[in-house]
Amino acid sequence: MVNATRGLLISCDIPMAQFIISMNNSKPSNQKFIIHVLDDTHLFVQPHATEMIRIAIAEFREANTYEKPA
Amino acid sequence: MPQVKIIAKNFIDMVASLPAVKLDMLYANPFICEAILRSLPPLAKKYVLQMMYIDAPIPAKSLEEWVLPDGLSKHRVAIDRLIQLRVLSETVDRKKETSYEMNKKFQINLQKQLIHGGILPREPMASSSVILPSSEELEIYALEQWEHFLLHLISSNQSEKLTNFSSSMMKVFQRGLLSQRDKEASRLTEYGFQFLLMETNAQLWYIIREYIANAEERGVDPANIISFLLELSFHETGQAYNINTLNEVQLNTIKDLSDLGLVKLQQGRKESWFLPTKLATTLSVSLSDTATRKQGYVVVETNFKMYAYSTSKLHCEIMRLFARIEYELPNLIVGAINKESLYNAFDNGITSDQIVSFLQQNAHPRVAEKVPTVPENVTDQIRLWESDLNRVEMAPAQFYDEFPSKDLFEAVCDFAREYGALLWDDSKKMQLVVKGELHNEMREFLRRQKQ
Repeated sequence: MVNATRGLLISCDIPMAQFIISMNNSKPSNQKFIIHVLDDTHLFVQPHATEMIRIAIAEFREANTYEKPA
Repeated sequence: MPQVKIIAKNFIDMVASLPAVKLDMLYANPFICEAILRSLPPLAKKYVLQMMYIDAPIPAKSLEEWVLPDGLSKHRVAIDRLIQLRVLSETVDRKKETSYEMNKKFQINLQKQLIHGGILPREPMASSSVILPSSEELEIYALEQWEHFLLHLISSNQSEKLTNFSSSMMKVFQRGLLSQRDKEASRLTEYGFQFLLMETNAQLWYIIREYIANAEERGVDPANIISFLLELSFHETGQAYNINTLNEVQLNTIKDLSDLGLVKLQQGRKESWFLPTKLATTLSVSLSDTATRKQGYVVVETNFKMYAYSTSKLHCEIMRLFARIEYELPNLIVGAINKESLYNAFDNGITSDQIVSFLQQNAHPRVAEKVPTVPENVTDQIRLWESDLNRVEMAPAQFYDEFPSKDLFEAVCDFAREYGALLWDDSKKMQLVVKGELHNEMREFLRRQKQ
């Protein structure tokens, strides 16, 4: 029988996928959000994870930059 | 708040959207007829000229004979345009034969125009009675006026000079460009930012459009303003025209226009007069394609430094949208484009293409001749930083697995592909991901396959 799951497809580059996977691994088991790792650049996650992932990526980006004080 | 999309279309589209009665009224003015004629696509122009002295309706069939078969699509466009502008009216008689007849007023006015040439309702004043400013002075004046207006528009407290526009009028212009919350200071919206990076002509057009659209609320007939503006575009730049020749509506309008820099008002000992500037005379020309090159002022170096040779506060404000201003000298603004300043801009809805085209269009004459005007490493980096923001794409989807047979899997894949909804598939594991909105159709399809 065919099985259908509702969720969110994430397509991104390899480093970003790894970043999201490591984010998933750091969560306690009841908060894990990745349903399937499809391949290197595609992940299938729970539908409510959108905002959380976006915020985490923005934080990551910010941590990597330095602004010269005015 | 109504979302006002900024589309720099041209004047004539606005005329075409007027109700029929208004349009007929406009055609009473020969200058509008001429402006309309100028704006038409080439084929439509030819039709108008060809039909100018034909009084009877012309059957559609004989019109079609004028073009070769492969020109038919252009023929349709031309005819549609003419009907839309009510230059031609379409009638279908009892035998189901279509024929076209030209708008009488339009026809007569064009005939007159052709024979007598255009005579403006007002003559330029004799140069002995007035002292005319030189064309450079006038252009500087126009740009200064326009800049003042813009500065006032984006930050009301920054410009010292007050404009004639009432605050309610200003609010109308700001609607869609600024977001206003009760207590906070108003902030530019996404459109506002894009607005500032647009060309002067496109900006002007946007303001004029709002101005016309708002005319009714002020108790003025929009058709009057449109006809006046079109008429104005036939006046000669830099010539003085006596203000006595204007009626009351036009008199009020011209005061507003002088705030925008479209005309310069001057007063002599006895009389006062107005001088149309370049901004006014280019208004009716299809705005998007007359990219009149202004003197640029920006130099961008390969080290991401930006130098703007400008005394204008407005330029400084515009640069601040996407760059970090480091010094402001009396005639020079020094800034740097960096990741943070660009992220700010992207947050505000400005795109990298807008920034790059702004830098290219406003390049200082020294670098404008160079190819490329803006160093490639800078433009590439601006685009890269933007794409860096969109590294992760997310789409609501449905995941299907555990297919009983390869055939069923292939069939489902094809079905989803037909709808253009297949996002990802793996034929080895027999898994696929489909756009979320197709789920109901997919379920139907699977049910039918089972039977």
